[in-house]
Parts: sequence; C-alpha cells; structure tokens
Amino acid sequence: MKIVVLVKRVPDTASVFKVASDGRSVELDGLKFVMSPYDEHAVEEAIRLKEKMGAEVIVLSAGPPECKEVIRSALAMGADAGAHLLLPGDTGYASRGVAEALAVAAKTLEPDLILAGKQAVDDDAAQVPERVAELLDLPHASIVTRLECTATAVTVDCEVEGGQFTAELPLPALVTAQKGLNTPRYPTLPNIMKAKKKEIRELTLDKLGLSGDRLAAGMTVTAMALPRQQRLGKILDGDTAQRVKELVRALREDEKVL
Amino acid sequence: MSDKLADMRFIRFLLYEVNKIEELLQYPYHEDHSRETFDMAIDAAYDLAREVFWPAFQEMDREGAVFDGSHVAAPKAMHEIWRQCKEGGWFAPNVCYDFGGQQFPLSILAVTSFLFSAGNSSAAMYVNGAWGAAHLIESFGNEDLKARYLQPLYGGEWGGTMALTEPDAGTSLGDITTTAVKAPDGDHYLIRGTKRFISSGDHDLAENIIHPVLVRLEGAPPGVKGISLVVVPKRRVNADGTLGEFNNVVTAGIEHKMGLRGQATATLMFGEQGECHGWLIGEPNKGLSYMFQLMNHARVFTGIQAVAGASAAYHCAVQYARERLQGREITNKDPLSPQIPIISHADVRRMLLQQKAFIEGALGMILFCAKVADRMQNTTDEEEKKTCNLLLETLTPCCKAHVSDEAFKSITAALQCFGGAGFCEEFPVAQLLRDNKVFSIYEGANGIQAMDLLGRKVPMEAGAAVRALMTEIGKNIAEASALEALKPLADKVQEVQNAVIDVTMHLGAIGMSGEVNLYICNATAYLAMFSQLVMGWQHLVQATAAQQALDAGADDADFYKAKLETARFYINTTMPHTLATAQVLKAVERTALDYPPDWF
Ligand SMILES: Cc1cc2nc3c(=O)[nH]c(=O)nc-3n(C[C@H](O)[C@H](O)[C@H](O)COP(=O)(O)OP(=O)(O)OC[C@H]3O[C@@H](n4cnc5c(N)ncnc54)[C@H](O)[C@@H]3O)c2cc1C
Repeated sequence: MKIVVLVKRVPDTASVFKVASDGRSVELDGLKFVMSPYDEHAVEEAIRLKEKMGAEVIVLSAGPPECKEVIRSALAMGADAGAHLLLPGDTGYASRGVAEALAVAAKTLEPDLILAGKQAVDDDAAQVPERVAELLDLPHASIVTRLECTATAVTVDCEVEGGQFTAELPLPALVTAQKGLNTPRYPTLPNIMKAKKKEIRELTLDKLGLSGDRLAAGMTVTAMALPRQQRLGKILDGDTAQRVKELVRALREDEKVL
Repeated sequence: MSDKLADMRFIRFLLYEVNKIEELLQYPYHEDHSRETFDMAIDAAYDLAREVFWPAFQEMDREGAVFDGSHVAAPKAMHEIWRQCKEGGWFAPNVCYDFGGQQFPLSILAVTSFLFSAGNSSAAMYVNGAWGAAHLIESFGNEDLKARYLQPLYGGEWGGTMALTEPDAGTSLGDITTTAVKAPDGDHYLIRGTKRFISSGDHDLAENIIHPVLVRLEGAPPGVKGISLVVVPKRRVNADGTLGEFNNVVTAGIEHKMGLRGQATATLMFGEQGECHGWLIGEPNKGLSYMFQLMNHARVFTGIQAVAGASAAYHCAVQYARERLQGREITNKDPLSPQIPIISHADVRRMLLQQKAFIEGALGMILFCAKVADRMQNTTDEEEKKTCNLLLETLTPCCKAHVSDEAFKSITAALQCFGGAGFCEEFPVAQLLRDNKVFSIYEGANGIQAMDLLGRKVPMEAGAAVRALMTEIGKNIAEASALEALKPLADKVQEVQNAVIDVTMHLGAIGMSGEVNLYICNATAYLAMFSQLVMGWQHLVQATAAQQALDAGADDADFYKAKLETARFYINTTMPHTLATAQVLKAVERTALDYPPDWF
C-alpha cells in the first residue's frame, strides 16, 4: 500500500505579519515557516497506518526550494520518502493551479490513499485536496476525525455542520484530516538523523509536462490588509448565578451563537 | 501564559552567525550532521518545550513531588514528559551512536537544555540527572559498569542523580562521612551514610535510579584527597542487565521547597536497613576530581537553567506589557483619551531591555563556552585543547554564578512589569522567580564560585587562563573597533578590560605577598566585575556580527538593528558600574574581613 500525504509550507501563525509594500501580499522577510498544522495530522495518520498495516508513506509538497525543510520534518516523524514539486516564486498561486500541478505529481507516485490537511492555515482556502481528488477522479472525504483502513477501502467519520457522518470509500481515495483525528508525534532525534538519508524526489513542472502559466490563473489579489484589532472583552458583574445568566443571555441575544 | 519561551531567531543568530557552529561539521564525530539536523533538533525541542514542558509548569509546582513515607511519586504530568523525552532520544543527544545517542554537538545540547528548562526546569532536571550519572560512568567507569548502566541511562529507561551533599557537608565536601568498605566477597563495596538534597533522588518515573555517590574508603586520607566515587543503583543490576534485588537505598524524606517543587529533592539513606552495594568508578581517592568534571557541565547547566527561567519570564512580560492598558503619554492631558499599553512607557521598556540584554549576553557567554567545549572534545591539536580547557575553567564560574545572580534580578524586573498581578501566582512569573533562587545556591553557592574564580582560576598556570580569555576578548575588540559604528562601544569594553587586568595584577600582588584572606575577601565583587566584562564582550561580538549582516544588506534588518541597540544598552548602562566596582576592588575594601562576628 502506498500513501501520499500532501503537505504545505506555511508561515507560523505565531509570527508577526506585515503587509508587503505592494499592498497585495504578505511580507515574507523574517517569517518562520512550518508545516501547516492540519497536514501534521495527515502525516501522523499515514505513519500510524504504516505501523499498523505496512505501507510506504511519501510526502509531497509543492512550492519554493525551502519546502524541503517541511518535507524533512515529515520524514523525521517517520515518513519514508519525499517528493518536492518545485514551483517558481514564493506565493501568489491559486488553489486551482496548484491542485492541477499536485494532481499530476501525485499520480506519478501511484497512491492507494492520499491524505492531506483539511485546509492550510495561510490562505485557509480548503480547496486543494478536493480539487486534486476530482482531477484524479478519486472518491474523497473531508474534515475527517476518525479513519480506518483495509487493503481495499477506507472508512471515515467526517465532521459536518451540527454533526458527523460515517462513509466508506473504495481505494484509491483522498481524505483530509481534522484536528481530532490524532495527536501528531514530535520528531525524534534518531528519526531526524534518518530523515537526512531519506530520498526526496525532485519534480519540476517541466518534467511533468506542465506550464507555470496556470498556477496563478483565475485569481487576482487586489488588496491585503491585517484584520482589525478589537478589544471586545467584557467582564460580567454579580454573583456566579447572575453572571451565568447574563452570559447565556449575551451569547443568545447579543452574539447569537447559541 | 505566553506561548513564547525563547527567541529562536536570536538562538540561530548565536549558533550560526556568531559562533559559526557549522565549523564543527569538520570533525568526524559530527560528520553525519548538517545545519538541517541542528535546526530540526532545536525546533523539535522548542515544540516539546512549549507544548509538553510548559503546560505542566504550574501544575507540577502545585502538585509537587509526593512522599508517602516510603516512596516518592513524581508529579503526574512528569510521566508524559519523561515518556516524550525517552521516545525522542532526549536523554542523549550528544552521546555516541554506540550508547544510543546521536552525536550532536554540546552546542546543540546546550540549546535544547535551555529550551526544556525555559519550559519547566524541574522537569528538565529529571532528564539531565540521568545524563549526568551516565556521563560520569562513561568518562571514568570500567567496561563492566559501562555495559551495565550506559544504555538504560542514556535510553531513558532509568533515572540518575549525583549524590555529594550530606547534612554536615555541603560546601565543604572534604567533610563527607559516607563510607565504602570493600565487601569480603565480590567486586563491590558496602556503602553506609546519608545524602541530603539529592535532586531526582527518588521517583516513580523509571524502574531504577542510579546514584553516583561520593564516599570515603577505609583508611582514606582526610579531606578532599580521600574521596572516592562509587555507583550505587537503587536496584542491583545483574550481569545480563536485568534488575536484581532492592539495594537498600532508602528515602528518608523529600524537601518542601520555595521553588522547583516538581523536583523530588530527597534525603537518601544508604545501607542503614541492609546491605547497600556500590561499585568503584575509576581509582580510589580520585572521586572529587571525577565529580568536578561533571560539575563543570553541571555548573554551566545551572547557568542555562537560570537564563532559561529569565527567558520565559521575559517573554511573559513582553506579552503582558503589550496587552495591559494603563496610563497615557506624559504629554497627553486628555483624561478621556484611551489608556495605552504599558509597553509605550519608556520605564517599562527599560525593564524589558534590562532583561533582554541580560538574556542575550548570558546566552552568548554560555554558547561560547559550549562551542569551546565542542572544540576541546574534538580537536586533535593539543595546544588548542589546552587553550579551550583554560577558557572553560575561567568562564565556568561566570556562567554559573553571574548568570544565576543576574537571572534572579532579570525575573524581578519581569515581575515588576506585571505590577500587582506579578505578585500573584496566577501568572507564571512568581513561580519563575521562586524556581530561580536555587540556581545561586546549588552546584556550589555563588560565593564559592567567586572564590573559585579568584582563588583557583585566576592564579592557574601563572595566570594562563585569564590571559587566554583576555587574548580572545582583545581580538574581538579589535574587530569591532574596525567598524566605525561600533568604535565607541568597543572603546568602552576596552576600558573595562584594562581595568580588569589592572585590578587582577593589583590583587595578584597581594596574593603573592601571602595575604590570602585579603586577596579573596572581595571575590564576589571580582566575579561581578569579571563577568560584566565577559557579558560586554559577548554583546560586542554579537553587535559585530549584526553590523556585518546589515552592511551586507541582510533581509531582516530590524532583527540586527534591535541587536545593535540591545548591545548598546548593555554596554552603555553596565560598563560604568563595572569601572566603579573595579575601583572598589582596587581600594581593597576590607571592612567585611575585619568586622568581628560578635558585632552582628
Ligand atoms: C533544590 C536543591 C537541589 C540540590 N541538589 C543536589 C544534588 O542533586 N546533589 C547534591 O549533592 N547536592 C544537591 N544540593 C545541595 C547543594 O549543592 C548545597 O545546598 C550547596 O552546595 C550548599 O551547601 P549547604 O546547603 O550545606 O550550605 P553551606 O555549605 O552551609 O553554606 C551556607 C552559606 O555559607 C557560605 N559558605 C560555606 N562555606 C564557606 C566557605 N568556606 N567560605 C565562604 N563561604 C562559605 C556559602 O556560600 C553559603 O552562602 C541541592 C540543594 C538544593 C537546595
């Protein structure tokens, strides 16, 4: 069994963000990059499947050369090999273009199962894995919190608004991971040393017969701004009973979240 | 709680741009490594520190280690930390492959220890204890001891300690009374005595605990020349490595402490309730010199713990200072205008700068030492090895004593940023302050460190150790002076260096004249002066690297500019005090020496 995990290199959300001077992108200087946290759950799940039923886990990432660092950290968690699809530039790709490229790249790896995070924490688009699945004509399930796998099918619990449903998908299939799926392991020192020796295949758009033209096509960023900082904290008065009452009222009536 | 414990950008700057640790890759021992493995290790350690160590920080303090009259239970959260460290290989990052390590440099071990300690010092000590015990056995034990003990200790199967202190022998280790008598049968000794204040002395985290214990053999000469080192397991270890019977190491109790409450600081009775077996490490009567080798590591580790606590407190303070709204600009007279974050007040920024400058200087000093230790361990050039050793000898008391003294002050400043909230246990700063106090006490109280610096290290090989350091400092001052922007700072450090050399010669003459008490009575002031020079020097070295990066058009200019300003702050605000201390020392202030005990 072969599992391909799609991982994305994203800025650490703990970083201090600035809008770049063009007013349409994020200033990249001084940012620290990490593997998108939901992708860590996908990697973890792949490694668990490998430990349980034997599988080869290949981590695939598309982007600038530095993506290799993210691939290496997945290798240090225990993935077997990596594949890096080199894309020109740093950012500004559109989900559609990246999905088209990843689909072709993933196909060359002949996966039985593709795992990915439910969304990347940079643009939060939550589109790429599903697009990849559609392009490859694979059944897919998103926002998965439980996964069981046999040689021929994968059974998953998916989160949906207000509840969840269980689905069985014949392999090959694609599944995206939600937080509750598992707790990603930390890289261990022995695995960090092993990761260094594991292969990372170099893929290029050229080699895959793709052109870079479509990467950003269909999307235009007109402006970028930081979210408005608001202090909406409110301290409730009274004894505990009064405060709970007021809290419930505020949640119902003011915030309309209940 | 802040989710930032350390500035990883600064740590990378120190490792790669200032200390250039990639140079270590030339040594065969580290040949499998690269900057990538280093980065992955420190990133993984930081994730563990933030996500596993830190969340247990307050909880372990509140729960504490618990003694039920016979056994000690470590705080619950410690079990998960231990498991993660064991699985991750964190008991032995620097150790050779044969014993289960990954051959990382000590420079990386220093950083990972720093990060774990920033997250939770009590927890880091359990792990470090096992490493220390194993390190002693690896350095001085025979093959049999190594075969029995190293893998399980370095693999996190067993815990470890170092047992020196006794109720009547703390500073004065020459007065220990624990005895070891050769057993009539077998290769072991029978141990009897009581050790006190033993960190990680008893717990339920591992199935065995290994105690390297300082003892006296029968007929040993009195004092420090008659001390030997034995390894005493809590449970005996069979030749095939399986666990044998209980070895009569009995826990009499654990301390109720002001800080590091997650640590089981135990009083251990050896052989009071049945035969307790110990095995000699190395040769008889050489125990203290063996222990000192580990203690040099342990002292630097104490400095690491101290600055780590200061780092955690600093980042909490920065976060609080950005969020806490209080007051207005001095020039703003409109009482209806919104209050501003306290970080907008210069006096609050002064407190933050004081901490930042301390942390950066102290980390600089410690990681400089770590790289020197790496070179010493790897180089085949005897001259270089010797120089490295001299540098470490001189700087170790500074890393231990100055860093712990100043870390406490640094955390006091962090707490001050919180106002009344800092005094409350709801925020972690109060605990960080409590935890930090002991770093000026254990591993040799700071007063003793100062006497070690002035009494032993300064006169060492006719001043060769100090000369080696001054040569190093001189080189860097010259380098900084060549950059126009840094010339004023370099001049200030130069002035202090001259004063330190002058004072040292002056005191040297007093020492030579045989007035030992007068020579040593201001050792603490001497250590402060000496260490401030070292800190100023480190800031200057960092400033030089930052200026060079800016001149080369580096990307994140703000980082380097901030570094330059931090160095300026330290040098401008500290060096004048250092010169004043030099004056006091030169005047050989002797009141404390002459003041009769009865007058108190
Ligand atoms: C939390 C904790 C953990 C510890 N862990 C360990 C451990 O794992 N293993 C271990 O062996 N020990 C451990 N210790 C013991 C520690 O190393 C000693 O407390 C320390 O060495 C000081 O000894 P003491 O407490 O007996 O103080 P004392 O020796 O009584 O010193 C009291 C004061 O007098 C000063 N003083 C003493 N003698 C002199 C002198 N000759 N000249 C000038 N000044 C002097 C000291 O500087 C100090 O300020 C630990 C202690 C604590 C509190």
